[in-house]
Amino acid sequence: MLDLPGGHVRGGFLMKTILIIMVYLIFAPLLGGLLAGIDRWISARMQARFGPPIWQPFYDVLKLRQKENIVVRRSQNFYIFFFLLFIIFTGGLFFAGYDLLLVIFALTLAGIFFVLGAYKASSPYSFLGAERELLQMMAYEPMVILVAIGMYMVTGSFYIADINSFPHPLLRYLPGLFLGFVFILVIKFRKSPFDLSMSHHAHQELVRGIITEFSGKTLAWIEIAHWYENVFLLGIVYLFCASQPLAGCLLALAVYFMVILVDNVFARLKWQTMLESSWAAAAVLGLGNIIVLHFLR
Amino acid sequence: MGSPFKKSPWVIHYDASSCNGCDIEVLACLTPVYDVERLGIINTGNPKHADIFLVTGSVNEQNKEVVQNIYQQLPEPKVVVAIGICATSGCIFRDCYNIQGGVDKVIPVDVYVPGCAARPEAIIDGIIQSLRVLEEKRQIMSSMSGSIDQMIVEKANQSDLPEILALQKIAYQSEQEIYANSSLEPLNQTMKELEQEFRSMTFLKVMVNGKIIGTIRGYKQGETAYLSREAVHPYFQGKGLGSRLIKEMESYFPLTNRFEVFTWFKSKRNIYLYEKNGYRQFKTEQVSETMEYVYLEKIVKAKGSQDEEQ
Amino acid sequence: MINLSAVIDPGCRALFFYGGIVGLLLFLILFPLLAALVLLFANDRLRNIMVKAATVIIPVYSLGLVFTHFNLPVFHFALQIELMNRIMLALEILLGMYIFWVGLKYRKYWISILIFIQVVLMTGFELSNGHNLVIEHNLFVDKFSIIMALIIGIIGSLIGLYALGYMKDFHAHYQEPSKDNRKFFFFIIYVFLSAMFGIVFSNNLLWLYFFWEITTLCSFLLIRYKQTEEAVNNASRALLYNLLGGVAFVIAIIYLYVTKGVVELDKMIALGKAGALVPAVLLSFAGMTKAAQLPFSSWLLGAMVAPSPVSALLHSSTMVKAGVYLIIRLAPILQGSLAGLLIALVGGVTFLLGSFIAVSQSNAKRVLAYSTIANLGLIVMCGGIGTYEAVWAGIMLIIFHAIAKCLLFLNVGVIEHRIHSRDIEDMSGLIISMPRISIMMQIGIAGMFLAPFGMLISKWAVLKALVDYNPLLAVFVVFGSAATLFFWVKWMGKLLEVVKPLQDREKGISGTEMLPLYILASLTVGVCAFYPAISSRLIEPYVIDLYGRTTTMAQGNIVIMSFMMGLIALFPLSFINYGKRVKVNDSYLSGDNADSSIKFYGAAGSIKDVQIKNYYLENYFGEAKLTENGIVLCSIFLVVMFGVAFL
Ligand code: SF4
Repeated sequence: MLDLPGGHVRGGFLMKTILIIMVYLIFAPLLGGLLAGIDRWISARMQARFGPPIWQPFYDVLKLRQKENIVVRRSQNFYIFFFLLFIIFTGGLFFAGYDLLLVIFALTLAGIFFVLGAYKASSPYSFLGAERELLQMMAYEPMVILVAIGMYMVTGSFYIADINSFPHPLLRYLPGLFLGFVFILVIKFRKSPFDLSMSHHAHQELVRGIITEFSGKTLAWIEIAHWYENVFLLGIVYLFCASQPLAGCLLALAVYFMVILVDNVFARLKWQTMLESSWAAAAVLGLGNIIVLHFLR
Repeated sequence: MGSPFKKSPWVIHYDASSCNGCDIEVLACLTPVYDVERLGIINTGNPKHADIFLVTGSVNEQNKEVVQNIYQQLPEPKVVVAIGICATSGCIFRDCYNIQGGVDKVIPVDVYVPGCAARPEAIIDGIIQSLRVLEEKRQIMSSMSGSIDQMIVEKANQSDLPEILALQKIAYQSEQEIYANSSLEPLNQTMKELEQEFRSMTFLKVMVNGKIIGTIRGYKQGETAYLSREAVHPYFQGKGLGSRLIKEMESYFPLTNRFEVFTWFKSKRNIYLYEKNGYRQFKTEQVSETMEYVYLEKIVKAKGSQDEEQ
Repeated sequence: MINLSAVIDPGCRALFFYGGIVGLLLFLILFPLLAALVLLFANDRLRNIMVKAATVIIPVYSLGLVFTHFNLPVFHFALQIELMNRIMLALEILLGMYIFWVGLKYRKYWISILIFIQVVLMTGFELSNGHNLVIEHNLFVDKFSIIMALIIGIIGSLIGLYALGYMKDFHAHYQEPSKDNRKFFFFIIYVFLSAMFGIVFSNNLLWLYFFWEITTLCSFLLIRYKQTEEAVNNASRALLYNLLGGVAFVIAIIYLYVTKGVVELDKMIALGKAGALVPAVLLSFAGMTKAAQLPFSSWLLGAMVAPSPVSALLHSSTMVKAGVYLIIRLAPILQGSLAGLLIALVGGVTFLLGSFIAVSQSNAKRVLAYSTIANLGLIVMCGGIGTYEAVWAGIMLIIFHAIAKCLLFLNVGVIEHRIHSRDIEDMSGLIISMPRISIMMQIGIAGMFLAPFGMLISKWAVLKALVDYNPLLAVFVVFGSAATLFFWVKWMGKLLEVVKPLQDREKGISGTEMLPLYILASLTVGVCAFYPAISSRLIEPYVIDLYGRTTTMAQGNIVIMSFMMGLIALFPLSFINYGKRVKVNDSYLSGDNADSSIKFYGAAGSIKDVQIKNYYLENYFGEAKLTENGIVLCSIFLVVMFGVAFL
């Protein structure tokens, strides 16, 4: 899938990159929406319910497109549009095999547009949601960068293309980083116990947190952005076992299932717990793994 | 595939002084036994995401405004389902001193689900019934918003005044943002003042879905007709409705040679709209340190041309 | 003051030999001094003219340096002036006496003791060895000096211009107890600029030391400017800590001369790790005091009582940069040594804790100060590691940080005069009341931490350098950056959110304040476009000179960054769609809105204002606790550093 030499612009390389990005642009939301549908179905089954049809997320988005768009401040939606744009951009960079750190920075930029949109809406609920989203970003950011560093230490390159073509499964060298990454994936997928800024279920505590003031088409953008993001995040999970593509895909699906399970088992926790535990995970699992790697070499 | 509205109705539930009997039944619908999510129904808890407003209870003096406020915040198209006999008619509470007596006393209701308490099956059925109304409204909304000419402009009557006042406040909110202070008169107008104006002025309204989405008023004094407080719902702005309202209003004063309007100095859009319709600025007036009025007039010269215009 | 004719005369002669470069150098050092003298006696009108003229002349000459020197290697200048050294010594003694007296006056006896030690050591050294000191080159210029000169020249003179309008406002607001002493203020500012140029062009360590001490004194005088008790105390603290560095500086010079018979920077660097580690560590210590690294960081926070142009000029863009400048200069000596690693650790801890503490601050200038301390820590880290990648990243950081931080300080200065508060919580809705200023704030903040702006590029480079050197050091950057993100974004959000009706407050900001802001804002964005050029023409040649190899950002990444920049530039375009196809409605307040988004019905029908306050996470990032730990930790590091260096 990703056998590109990192960093070298060659004939054919560009074409291939563009092709991959096109495929990503079209299929990622389909896959992401489907995953979301499966998520809702599995969750329902775990709660002894029947659950909605698999295609439900698509119905929701189609409906939202036709709804009226209500705003509090007129410019709030622009930020969301750029959030979507940069999420797509991030995923594009990732699947085209570029520098992992750059991808992470682009993801941060996208997240910040999201947060700023909610700040701009100036409602207490969206404000608090935005602030918590920032806390979440602060909580997961170290772990994500540590993953990039770990991958670099093993493969000698930050380029995703090179990491992808590394002959052995990275999981063998980076078990701690993998566990830590799965831990913060709970935050990134907005699942309990860390769905603080917003949740897919109606916890009434913050109304809908960061997305409270977005409606209609803008809400649909946010949903689609999450689909893109989820696919990209599972892509990182895949990287841990990229040498065996099939195993990699299974790994990604297994992780997804785990996260859903955790979502259904846990109640929402306080942000303090989230910050402490995810930094502890980064320090113990992530850094521990890197220390071991450093001294083994 | 059909309309996505039918497959993804999101609801918000509000307890307007119910005895909690109906609320428990509403929540029961979400449990595994009834599992409304299999129909795509989600309880959003946020009016801005919802399509269907479920109200229980007979609405009292305290929460009347809350019900209206939440209703305002639901994006179009939207429907209201009154759940339980309290919400339908007020039931045994209807004669209480503080009870409005049914949700339809404060907001328009589309579906009534009677029962005390309404059974979950009935509630689910009510929601499904409301989907048809929702779909109708969607169709009207999409066809109407595209064709302003088909909208009916007519004279407003006394009972429209609350809605007109609400519309005026929504429509002038954007103006308020420009001036960075909240001292614009249309936003501070009270119901009483409006009723007074109604006695001396002609009010026009534009209706969509039985809702007023545009309004203007005017009166004639001496040789001049004064137009004022033109307001178009933001959702329908930029579609030529403003010009249409000006023309209609002018036609209510047939033998007039001079029309006058005023607006605020930074309201470029309003000034542009009036100038497009033949108005010219003729004076400005400094009313406070930060505020300046701009007056525009339109002189209709020959009688013949005026006839043509009509 | 300095005997001008004696200096200019050889300068003119040298002009013929060096194609005008030495003339340029001397001009850059002497012209601000001249301007300062004029400003000391100028009335308001003449001051305006002089400052505006200097704002044009100094940057032009700094840029001239780039063009005349573009393709040339390092340049050293003999410039033997016996007289000059004597004048310097005399001035040093005079300054020393003044500082001694200051120490006595304010009853800060430590100041007197330190300056006494310094002056005695220095005069003793010069009197006993002055005649056999052989100094080949007093001045020099290379690419790194040019970068520094550009920063000092362009940013420094812009701040001078800004100060014109700002100081007028300042005295309109704070009458007591400081009297309108603007003549003195501008005098010091330009003396300071002169000294800064001196620092970056000096090869003779004695000269470097002389200029170094002048900046310390300028800093003291400017922090004290308000003359309140707080100002005096904080100024004394700044003086004390900087004098500590000064003592280390003197000892470094004497040690270097006694052991190796050398007092020149280039020769010292040529000696390498084996020969010059001890003086390098001592000089780095001096650099760390000047750059407010952790055990000493409190002086920079105290310095925030000074007027904003001072904070921007001395305490973020230039003077504190002199500290890190020296450390980066010495990087080749420190590279790979245990002492260097300890310096890096001090820098790393400072970055980490500085970023953490900034989260808990709501005073805008303190947030900026902590962020400055943190970023200086990052640069110190680069210097301490001393690999070629680290040096490259460190220089990038110096450039980008100077521009963006200066923009932020100046903006906060303007805001403070308009809203009469430095509290970030009071800045809510600034996007409505001061749209242009707050957009520039957003640019500045984005410039500090966001991709694809400069600081992020540099931090990325630092991260790579650290990972290549020792991945464990990266932990500082990894966790520190997360906190950085938090406090910057919440500030951005505060500027955007609107929860009360607001008045337009932007009217009446003078053009001399706005112009520097506009220029700096465009520089913040523009430098990102030019940085490949800056890197390849200035930084890389310098790094190659030292290490024989260099690093740079991969071509592909530059393309992507530019693309991102292009996308962000599209953001203003979305305002074409402003207000179309949306319905404006009140925000959701659980249905209890009192006719608006900003008021709601509270208990018993009372109407309450919506209030939104940021998180400050006191329990995690409390200032007192973290500072205390940091001081202990870094002091230990410093002690160990001296230990391993001397043993
Ligand atoms: S209808 Fe009956 S159960 Fe429902 S709120 Fe009224 S009294 Fe309670």
